[in-house]
Amino acid sequence: MAGSDLYMGTLDTLILKAVSWGPLHGYAIGRWIRQNTDGVLQVKEGALYPALHRLEKKGWLDEHWGTTNTGREAKYYTLTLGGRERLTSEILRWTEYTSAVSAALNTATAPVKG
Amino acid sequence: MKRRFHLSLGGLGLRRDVDRELEFYLDMRTQELIDQGTPPAMARRAAEEAFGNRRAVAARCRAIRRSRFRWDMLRGLGQDVRFALRGLRRSPGFAGVIIVTLALGIGANTAIFSLINGVLLQPLPYARGGDLVRLHQPSTAAGGTNVNFSPQEVADYADQSRALSAVVEYHSMPFILLGLDEPQRVQTGVVSAGFFDLLGVEPVLGRTFLPGEDQPGAEPVLVLSHHTWLEVFGADGEVIGRKVEMNDRMHVVVGVLPEIPHHPDRNDVYMPVAACPFRSSASWDDNRGARGLTVFGRIDAGHSLEQVRADLATVAGRMHEQFTEHYADRLGLTTTAVPLRDELVQRARPSLYVLLGAAGFLLLIVCANVANLTLARLVTRERELAIRATLGAGRGRLFRQLLTESLVLALVGGGVGLALAYGGLDLLVAFVERLTARAAEVRIDRMVLGFTLALSLGTALAISLLPALPARVSLANELREGGGGAIAGGRHRLRSMLIVSQVAVSFVLLVGAGLMLRTFVNLIRVDPGFDAEQVMTARLDLDWHEYRDPESRNGFAATLEEELRAAPGIQSVAFTSSLPLNAQPWRQFALSIEGAEDPEGLVDLQVDLRVVSQDYFDLLEIPIMRGRPFQKHDGREARIAVVNALMAERFLGGVKGASGKRIRIGGAARDWLTIVGVVDNVRHDGLGASIHPAVYVPQQAMGMRDMRVLVRSTLDEANTAALLRRTVAGLDGTQPLSDIRSMTTIRRESLASPRATTLLIGGFALLALVVTAAGIGGVIAYTVNQRTREIGIRMALGADRESVLLMVLRRGLREAGYGLLLGLAGAIILTRVLEGMLAGSGLLFGVGATDIVTFVAVSCVLLGVAIAACVGPARRATSIDPLHALRSE
Repeated sequence: MAGSDLYMGTLDTLILKAVSWGPLHGYAIGRWIRQNTDGVLQVKEGALYPALHRLEKKGWLDEHWGTTNTGREAKYYTLTLGGRERLTSEILRWTEYTSAVSAALNTATAPVKG
Repeated sequence: MKRRFHLSLGGLGLRRDVDRELEFYLDMRTQELIDQGTPPAMARRAAEEAFGNRRAVAARCRAIRRSRFRWDMLRGLGQDVRFALRGLRRSPGFAGVIIVTLALGIGANTAIFSLINGVLLQPLPYARGGDLVRLHQPSTAAGGTNVNFSPQEVADYADQSRALSAVVEYHSMPFILLGLDEPQRVQTGVVSAGFFDLLGVEPVLGRTFLPGEDQPGAEPVLVLSHHTWLEVFGADGEVIGRKVEMNDRMHVVVGVLPEIPHHPDRNDVYMPVAACPFRSSASWDDNRGARGLTVFGRIDAGHSLEQVRADLATVAGRMHEQFTEHYADRLGLTTTAVPLRDELVQRARPSLYVLLGAAGFLLLIVCANVANLTLARLVTRERELAIRATLGAGRGRLFRQLLTESLVLALVGGGVGLALAYGGLDLLVAFVERLTARAAEVRIDRMVLGFTLALSLGTALAISLLPALPARVSLANELREGGGGAIAGGRHRLRSMLIVSQVAVSFVLLVGAGLMLRTFVNLIRVDPGFDAEQVMTARLDLDWHEYRDPESRNGFAATLEEELRAAPGIQSVAFTSSLPLNAQPWRQFALSIEGAEDPEGLVDLQVDLRVVSQDYFDLLEIPIMRGRPFQKHDGREARIAVVNALMAERFLGGVKGASGKRIRIGGAARDWLTIVGVVDNVRHDGLGASIHPAVYVPQQAMGMRDMRVLVRSTLDEANTAALLRRTVAGLDGTQPLSDIRSMTTIRRESLASPRATTLLIGGFALLALVVTAAGIGGVIAYTVNQRTREIGIRMALGADRESVLLMVLRRGLREAGYGLLLGLAGAIILTRVLEGMLAGSGLLFGVGATDIVTFVAVSCVLLGVAIAACVGPARRATSIDPLHALRSE
């Protein structure tokens, strides 16, 4: 985010998307974002955590401590109902935005002079 | 919902939580790098590199979480309050009862505390009031009472004391103020010039006295009290410089005082000693034994009260050596200092503490009762709470909800209580006015508001903590067990304990009320030594200007007497200088007895001097024990006296031997008086106060100026008062006649203070009794409800109504019995502890603190009330229909 060219909130939306399939701990969320964005999001990995806590504060994520497959204690994040609504509206907004911008960028019509 | 139960993560927990989460990430990321082929030695470092500033991340996470907790707390609280209000709205009866009970408890405490705050806690409204002292010269021969100081003694202490920066004298006399619309009787404080400087009182207008204004020859000046300025001078802003006549001299008004407590008397005006015709007379000034002046001092900076006392003792020791004739060992004179603050509140303090104790006990009972009601309600809400518990609400959360409910109740109750206290404040101020000059300072200020708030919060905590005590087993278990089980048992024990303590505290309160009632009854029963029925009195202060000489004053009195006696319905007429049970005693110094003029015989002490007309004893039906009363032919030159029985017994060899002896009052300059009679003692200073030696002298010989008129009349009070007014106005239209009251009224008013104390404590005790009875009844009703099935079975098996009734009663009375025993023990301990304070306070009269009659009566009352409270539910138990009861489960 900070330092990224992309608009604020991209990381938040990606986090919400990552947990939309079920509870995940912070590392799994981070790995999913890294793998699915091909490293386009050039930020320090640590920025993930303040974002997680902020989303939790806003009530879009729930958290609880749980145990991983390897028996380690980890904090898991779950999407709340509010978080799912937020994710849906973010995806819609993002799609509208990107399609509008790409339509503009790909058009052959020149600006009218005058 | 669960999110709100992370309160424990506030401090260290939060730091650990965040650290563990970040550590987990780094560990996993390191492992990932190793799995991808990074050498293990470098992997951790690479992971940290990719992560960024770990410490900054952790700090940001913590900050976010902390702000969320704060927000949650607020939101939780709001939600709790909404929950609480919703719950209370659902049971308005429960809420109403609790709010009223709490309002009474908190209101009583607020009211009493406002008195204590104004009278005992606030600093004196004088500059550095803590450094002010009053000097006392107690005499063991006078039973330890303060005989005050003579002018010469005042001068010596002022000169020689090192620990006091200033010493001033004070006495108070009534004078007539002329030159206004009508003659005005004013109580006048006669003081040293430095009096107000010593107190540190700044005038609101003009100035106070200047140095030298108390010296002979100084121009007479007056300082007005605030209330005189308002009431007599109409708050005239131009009053400074105004001339008024007093004692045949013109006085210039130089200042107006602010509102201050007037002590020891409520004075209307103040004058310097030089202007007082009595104080400046040689007979007073020259006689070291002529004691009668009140003395105040200011502790010099850097000295302690102990140093002042030692200093005074040194000066006194010097005097005792130098003037042995005035300080005979037999008199046992010593000099000491008492903080003015203590002296001002000395009479009020024990009453106020006892009242605060009573109010505190009432609040304890109220808390126990409310806790009990809450417990009862908790049982009916068991399901709701259990469901909440299974949904994840922890014990702390449930307690918080209880606490919020209690808080809402206690704050509303406290608010209503505050209103009650505010409403009753005037009555209470009127009550303390009789005990202290500081009554006017009583108000509901920030201290009182703070007290009420703190009390409400404390009460809320108490009534929510108590019911939470037995909830040791988790509520979820209880749900599984069907609502019965261990907790119900624990709750029940707790309810019993609450009842027991309520009964115990009620017992103590009732004992207090009982002792007050006994005191009051004893006071009513005291024989004052005269017959008050059908006697009207009025104050007549003859205009000094108009009636200059004793003959003219005697002439006025004689004409008035004649006119009144001629009126229909008037049986007899008399005059006196001071009424029993009402007036400040006119205490005189230096009593001598003829033939005993050696130091041993000189009774250098105070006696009460009263001037009376010939029919005085007859009118008030004061028995003549020996000799004769005054008679018409005892003229202006009669040098005779009548003494009371105590005087005869103490100083004149008994009632039989007193007649014919000669006494002298006020020093060698005065005439010898031959005793012609002895009358029975009269309780002059109050029904509960001790009797003093008294000397009566005939009116004709004195030519009284300020007198009280007494008439025994067959008319009713209003008609007699009208007749008195009419007759005096007919003789001299400018004569003020004031204070027209019947003797029975005076007698009743003399008991106003013990009556108020009795009513207050009695009221608290009655409230406590009602609340306790309700508590007992509630618990028994609950027991009956719980055991409906059992009772049904018993009855189905043939138990008769009596045995069921007895079974239920036994249950209720067992608790009352325990409470009674506990209360008895408590009351005995408490009265023992307080005995010293109670004995010296005058709160009790004619009854010991551990009065057996009171204890027995209180036990009977409490048991009776307990039985009455049990009877209702017990009878309901006997009317249980066995069939219905068995089917109902």
